[in-house]
Amino acid sequence: MSLCVLEDVWKTYTLGDVRVDVLRGVSLSIEPGEFTAVMGPSGSGKTTLMNILGCLDVPSDGRYILAGKDVTHMSDDELSRMRSEYIGFIFQSFHLLPYATALENVLLPTLYVERRLDGRRKRAMELLALVGLGDRAGFKPSQLSGGQQQRVAIARALMNAPRIILADEPTGALDSGTAKDIMNLLTELNRQGTTVVVVTHDPEVAGYARRIVKVRDGVVVEDTETASKAGERPVHDALLA
Amino acid sequence: MMRFWLKAADAWRAVRAYRLRAVFCSLSVALGVGAITIIVAATEGAYKQAYDMVDRFGPDALLIFGESEEARATGRREKNITVEDVEALRQAFPTAYLVVPMSNRGDMIVAYRNRKHSTRLTGTTADYSRSWSWPVTEGRDLTEQDVKGLRNVALVGRTIVQELFPDEDPIGKSIFVRNLAVQVVGVLEERGSTGPGHNLDDRIVMPITTAMKKILNEKDRVQAVRMRFVDAKRMEHFEAEVRSFLRKRHGLQEGQPDDFRIVSPREIVKFLVALTGSLVVFIGVTGLLSLVVAGFVLANLFLLSVNERIPEIGVRRSVGARRGDILLQFLTEAVTLTAVGGVLGFGIGVLGGPLLKHAAQFPMHFSWKAFAVGMMTATLVGVVFGMQPARKAAAVHPIEAVRKGS
Repeated sequence: MSLCVLEDVWKTYTLGDVRVDVLRGVSLSIEPGEFTAVMGPSGSGKTTLMNILGCLDVPSDGRYILAGKDVTHMSDDELSRMRSEYIGFIFQSFHLLPYATALENVLLPTLYVERRLDGRRKRAMELLALVGLGDRAGFKPSQLSGGQQQRVAIARALMNAPRIILADEPTGALDSGTAKDIMNLLTELNRQGTTVVVVTHDPEVAGYARRIVKVRDGVVVEDTETASKAGERPVHDALLA
Repeated sequence: MMRFWLKAADAWRAVRAYRLRAVFCSLSVALGVGAITIIVAATEGAYKQAYDMVDRFGPDALLIFGESEEARATGRREKNITVEDVEALRQAFPTAYLVVPMSNRGDMIVAYRNRKHSTRLTGTTADYSRSWSWPVTEGRDLTEQDVKGLRNVALVGRTIVQELFPDEDPIGKSIFVRNLAVQVVGVLEERGSTGPGHNLDDRIVMPITTAMKKILNEKDRVQAVRMRFVDAKRMEHFEAEVRSFLRKRHGLQEGQPDDFRIVSPREIVKFLVALTGSLVVFIGVTGLLSLVVAGFVLANLFLLSVNERIPEIGVRRSVGARRGDILLQFLTEAVTLTAVGGVLGFGIGVLGGPLLKHAAQFPMHFSWKAFAVGMMTATLVGVVFGMQPARKAAAVHPIEAVRKGS
């Protein structure tokens, strides 16, 4: 079963009496375990597409089904629940709480889940270790480099064990060396089974993905599978192809 | 429950992070709460003092003065209650277990050997001690025989003992009251004062017959009657009965004012509470004003804070926070700040209260009630004035999280 299914999705904004169609009939499905890059110039609608994929926004028309659940007409609270259960976000400017430590930032998503909280600290520490910051748990964001902050943000995105990681220009605020580290980390996470969608205009970043969806003027203009820069495709994927 | 504490800890981190906001919000609330604390303490103090006085006065007692309101106001001396009135009251009110006439006179010189002291003389019947619930600690009370026989005996208060008998046992000693030689038979327990110039212990008590005939030159007029009733719950009823009884005896027509005055426990409470009332109103208005100002300070600083923290709110929403979670978070922050202000305010009240007590002779009583009212007010300010910014925060759209920049 597909993890995300967009069926003829439209998104229309009305500014005064001007109607702007940002998305004009996008159909797309994302399978579990994929590493997809959504590319396009600014104004192409790729960010809106990501907002809808991440349940931050809903389609004006068409349908979006996430993990078998139709989220098109969900209430605000239900959308929050979907985000909390299925989605981990990574943002261009990290968006860590400035007054909280790395560990507290990683723990943030657990404040809003209904699940039991046992072992949350242990899991958060493990995730910090996974992103290479096991010794920085007590540091505030201001005491960390940009790359380290983004690693904390990745650990935060993983905290609730999401089905999909949505990264919006994850390397946009980083130098190229650090950007490489972050992309390698995302590739590694994907190799371990996490579905990753990266929104970017940077071909270098898109090069890590195995599928590239190009968006222009609110429609998908190209959808191609590529050989990942990071190595071979997993065996089971090759068998299915 | 655990999640509640986690969220509280989360709010507490934010509270500490934005220090300037925290300081201004809690300080402004503290001032208002300080004023409220003082009000509650003053009100409680007044009631406590009133009830202490009622207790001493006797919750089941009435005191009837033989002068009209008008005479009292103009300082004219009237004595409209006669010895016969007292006897008639005794006959007519079997529900009164004590009916004790009194005659008082101030500036009475008492002397023992070469010591002199000016005090207040109270002439009364037997059972003075019982009628005022005022124990005789040494010697004995006045008796029926003392009264009937016009004996020259007296009870003395602590102050007299200190003034005339600094290192002697006063019992059995002979003192002069004006020119009359009187034997001290008992000493009254220490009572303290009810205010400046009202030292209750500065008095001498004698049989009313002796006092009237041999010192005051009165034939049949007494100054006051004290009555105690068996049922303290029906004092209003008894007061009305006594009033109509005396009006009838004095032949007063309808429309004519009383030519006597009845003091009841209820009236004492009313008087003290009214005294406190004006100050309470003054501090109350000040306190409420400062709380409203504090509220606006809070609301504005929180609005600024919400604007500044839009990315944070977006991120919280993106990781699953519902609108209600955000609302609750900002309300928790607001209430945390006002609660801190409440605690500070109680401190201000406790420190400032004694100053007021000192300056204005004001009774103060700090209890958990003053603290509770202060904290409740503080919380209320937090909720009421934190609501609008919190709603604004909750309305921030989650896509704010993905806005570039910042």
